[in-house]
Order: sequence, then C-alpha cells, then structure tokens
Amino acid sequence: MQIGRRQFMAGLATTTLLGSIGRAGAQSTTLSAPWMGWPEEQVAPLMAAFEKETGIKVAAERLPIAELFKTLEVRLQARNEIPDVYLVDGPLTASYAARGHLLVLDEMLADDLERFLPSTLVQGTYDEKLYAMPLGTSTQILFYNKKLFAEAGLPEPSADPAKRMTWEEALSIAQALTKPEISQFGIAFENCNPYQLLALPQSWGAEVIGPDQLTAAGYVNGDAMVDAMTWYQELHQTHKVAPVGTFQTGVTQEMFGSGKLAMIVGGTWNLVGFEKFEGLDFGVAPHPYFAKGTPVTPTGSWHIGINPRTAHMEEAKAFVRWLSTRDAMDLWFELRQYPPSLRQIWEERASTNFIDPVWEIVQHELEHTATPRPATPGYREYEDFLKTAMQDINTGADVRATLDRAAQNIDREMRKYR
Amino acid sequence: MISSRWTPFLFLAPALAGLLIFRLTPILVAVGGSLSGVSLMGELRYVGLENFEYLADDPEFWESLRTTLYFNLLINPIQLAVAFALALLVFRPLPGVWFYRTLLVLPMAVSTGISAVLFGLFLDGNLGPMNGFLEWIGIGAQPFHRSHDQALYTLIGIATWKGAGYWMLFLLAGLYSIPSTVYEAATIDGANGWQRFRYVTLPLMRKPMAFVLVADTAINFLFFAPVYILTSGGPSGSTSVLMFQAYRAAFTFSDIGRSLAISTVLLGIIAIIVVLEFRFMRSPEEAK
Repeated sequence: MQIGRRQFMAGLATTTLLGSIGRAGAQSTTLSAPWMGWPEEQVAPLMAAFEKETGIKVAAERLPIAELFKTLEVRLQARNEIPDVYLVDGPLTASYAARGHLLVLDEMLADDLERFLPSTLVQGTYDEKLYAMPLGTSTQILFYNKKLFAEAGLPEPSADPAKRMTWEEALSIAQALTKPEISQFGIAFENCNPYQLLALPQSWGAEVIGPDQLTAAGYVNGDAMVDAMTWYQELHQTHKVAPVGTFQTGVTQEMFGSGKLAMIVGGTWNLVGFEKFEGLDFGVAPHPYFAKGTPVTPTGSWHIGINPRTAHMEEAKAFVRWLSTRDAMDLWFELRQYPPSLRQIWEERASTNFIDPVWEIVQHELEHTATPRPATPGYREYEDFLKTAMQDINTGADVRATLDRAAQNIDREMRKYR
Repeated sequence: MISSRWTPFLFLAPALAGLLIFRLTPILVAVGGSLSGVSLMGELRYVGLENFEYLADDPEFWESLRTTLYFNLLINPIQLAVAFALALLVFRPLPGVWFYRTLLVLPMAVSTGISAVLFGLFLDGNLGPMNGFLEWIGIGAQPFHRSHDQALYTLIGIATWKGAGYWMLFLLAGLYSIPSTVYEAATIDGANGWQRFRYVTLPLMRKPMAFVLVADTAINFLFFAPVYILTSGGPSGSTSVLMFQAYRAAFTFSDIGRSLAISTVLLGIIAIIVVLEFRFMRSPEEAK
C-alpha cells in the first residue's frame, strides 16, 4: 500500500495530538512521597482515594524503615524541592524541624486541631509549633498463642489493665512455654528498637536522657538502665526463653504466626499482620511491668510533614488537609490499625467494630501509661547508637560496657545541637 | 586529516575522559570536602582540619581502623590463596572440568546485596538451615554474624565465597599463558611435580598474582554491603570497617565532611598498601 501525502499528514497530525495529550496528562501534579514499606494493599488505597477526590497523584515510594530514614536524610540534606511530603516518625520531628526540613502547619490546620486527641499532637510539635500531623498513635500489647497456653495447662493472662502481669510473672510463664527440643520460645519483643525496649528501663524507673534532652552520660548508662537491660539480656542468654538475634519485626512475627513463639510484645498493626497465619488463635493482654516499678508503654507514631521547599505547595497542603479528614483517617485505620488520632473516630468506633478487648487496653494505655520517646533534636543519633547497643546486649555483650560506649558516642554526636 | 602523532591520544581520549570524570574528580571532591562542614541549617563552610581532628579524638574511628586493617590482613591473602588453589584445580583439562569452572564462577552472577541477604537467612540462628545441619553432624549451633567472636570471620567467608571465583579467572588466564615448553624443559632436567610448581609456576605467576592482590586489596578496603545488611558494624563494633563508618557519618549523622575525611584516610591507606604490595610482589630482576 502506498501512503499518500494527505494520509501522511493526517497520521502526523494524529501523532502530534496524541503526544500533546500524553504530555498534558503527565503535567497533572504527582506528589513525591517517601513512605513506609508497608504491604502495598495498606498504602495504595489511601493514595487512590486522594487522587479520586482531587485528581492529584501521590507517588508513594515504599521503603523499609531504616532505608526510609536514610533516604529522607539524603534528600532533605540536598535542600531542594523533593520530596513534596513525607512520613515523619514522631520523635524525629525535632530533628527535621531544627534543620528547616518541615513546614509549620499551625495556620493551615488552625480550625482542625481540636479534632485531634491532645496527646497525639505532642510529638509533632517542636518549639511550640506543629510541624507534623499525626496519622495515628501507637501502643504495645502482649499477644499470646491460646493453643500453646492450653497445651501447657496455663491460665490465659488477664486483659484487664488492673490485673496486668509483672515481668517476673511473664518470665515464669515463658519458662513453662519454652521447649528447646522443638525450637519453641516463650516470649520475644517484636524487634530490638529503642521504641519497643525503652519501656523496660522506664518501667524500672530509669530516666533515659538528661533533662536538657541532649545528655546521655549517666542516663543511657545509668544504674536503672543497666539493671533493666541486664534483665533483658538474661531473658535471652541465661533463661533462654527468648530467641537471640531476632532484630527484625518480620522474623518474630513469623515465629509467633507459626507457633514457635508463645508470647510476643508488639503493636496493634499485628492485628492485621497476623491475619495471614491460618489457624492462629491469639489473645491479647496489657504490656507487663516490673513489680518494683510502674507500668510504662511505648507510644508515638507516624506523622505527615511538608517539605518547605516543595514546588507543589498547594497540592502538598491539600494532601495533608485531606489526610486530616475523618474519611481519610477512617480509611487509614481500616488499612493499618494504628490507634486513631481523631477524637471522632474513637467515639464512633468505641464498642462497635474495634476488636475487643484490644481497644479497651489501648485506650487505657494511651491515657495512663504511654511514655513518649525523648524529644531531642538528636533523636536520630540517640536511636542509632542505642539500637546498636540493644542488639549487642541481646546477643550477649557486656551490658555496662556496651551502654557506656553508647552514652559516650551519643554525647559526642549531640555536641552539634548544643 | 589528523596527524598520526595525535591518533593514539584520540583513541585514548574516551578512556582518559572517563578516568578523569568518574575517578579523579570524585577523589578531588572528596579530599576538598573533607576540609568542609555543613551547619544545621545547611550552610557549607571551610573548617580546615577539624574533621580530621575529630577523627583523631574518636575512639570509634581508631577501633574501626584496627578492624579494617585486620580484616584486610586476613581476607586478601586468603582470597588470593583460595583463588589460586581453585585455578590450579580447574586448570587441568579433565573431563567435565567446564562444569566445575562454571560452578566456581557462578557466585559472581549474584549481586553482593542479594548474597548477603541469602547468607543472612542461611545462617540465621532461629530459621536458618545451616545450624540445623551443624547440629545434625554434631558440631552444634553457631551464632555466626550475631557473635562478637565470629562475625568478622563470617563476613570473610561470605566475601571469599563471592570473590574467589572471580579472581580465579585472572589466575587461570595466567596459568594458560605459561608456555608448555618451560614445563617440558623442567621435566627433562628432572624436576618433579612440586619442583615444577615451586620453580616454574610460582615465579611465572608473580605478575597475575600481584594484579589480583592489588585489585583485591583495593576492593576489600571498600568492603561495605554485607556489613550494612548483616551486622550494621556489630556486634560490639567487631565488623565496623571504615567504609561503614563513612556511610554512617554521611547518612545517619548527616556529617558529610567527616564522612569524606574518613574516605580520604581510606584512600591514603589504600595507596600506601598498594605501593607496598607492588614492591613486595616484584620479581628479583625488577627489584634491581
């Protein structure tokens, strides 16, 4: 077939037209948003709902937690327009805000702030300004495998916070449930991060950072910290009721799901996470505490923040405003089960479709025992050294020497914030 | 027409440009950057030798330096010896030798990151199959990279698994380049197998071995991914090599100046050691 001049011109015109439509499509804004590496089905629906409402796309880049922090460090330090919005881990608010990486949100959310539970607004606030909006909060509860308890003839732990187990009781139960011959362990913490483990020294009565929020010596290596972390080490090394070297969430979840672990201290996100294990019958109880001390639970969660240098300021603000709505927060709760930060959702959901008794426990902890991580601009450094120290203690390093070293290193790094 | 005098330079230009852009410029930037610091709000300023003074005063840095040197003191001779032994094994044209050669080269096809993740699973104390095997044969479970005493050696093992096949290829090429007449002459002179190896193979392999040792040293001083993925420098700093410290300074503590100072120190060490290795591996004739 021969192509005539007329056909050629028509073809050319069509191609040009299609090309320009394609470009126009590409010009609709896409917000760049480094996000946590949660399963796609817990992230994509949220972004899709926002796009449906506003036509603005959100390119959520799902990264494992350590990678997320490092990616953000690299991109924010470049001080250019990307990312547009990003997930802020609560205790890192001060670090980002002090370095000019977060937009102040007070004015933008002025009419909305009273819709939030006041305690959830603490972590996103630095220097009396709100820099990051809470997408929820968190607490830690004790999950236990009902079948393993029944097999051992043990009574199930009470879900009543007033009858909370002590760590001493938890240890003796864990000993009864540990069976080395079939690689079954009694108890584990979901991971080895300060977020989870600081509750131990805090329950023992330790102050985990100096009053200036910049001093580690005497706190990170204080006597109460050393004693509590020695207890943690003995759980793994002396009593051998907890698996050694399981630093990551995935491993401990897998062990609990497959019945190799009788109890796990973990977050409410496991309510969704454990669904994949068929036949797993689990119960929940409040976080244990030391008999000599007081009940303390970890708290704080993910926030959303805006890069003040974004080239898409209006769209970025629209995204954050939309996330603060009841519908968006409701959807987010369905997807990931973080304790909500909006008062209204608590009120609407109480005694409806919250999975009982989890949410009674969560509500109690948030009101009475939740203890936030240190609000220091040097939290990155603090967490990094302390996490390494906690891992070393888990695998058998000398507790005092390890914490001395961590304290020394943290103090060296904190100099720049003084 | 371009004069023939310039022709070689013309052909060399792309490679030289690549060397300049991708090798020398970053080195100059790194050395320059090691004299700078960034304030909390991101302003870049000249700080002179402040970053180096910080390192001199930092016990973590000195421990890391010791770990890096010890690691290299072990891994480079081990990798060279293993690669050479493998090359000798698969040098002879035995039936099916191509199969073993392929097997030995296969780890090259697995990226360093993936191999670290795989070994992490393989050696895991709770879910990994390796300890099951060790218990079965009666040795008992080992903590591997989760133990202060074993972590560095575990990493050396992983790196050697990954690298030995690659270095073997260079040594195999070297073995093939030794003319068979030399061996025939030695045999006629009455040399036995060991003597042929000691007085013919080894001296003639000096150059390929020097190349492998130097290239391997340069790579192993920059050893990083398995440390990052498996141990994060622990337990108790036992695997905290300088590259990991440089990475941590830049990406966790946002202190690019200090990170570049560590890189500069590393560069200096590699340069000195490579010069020493070249001297050491010189043949007696060259040394004169």
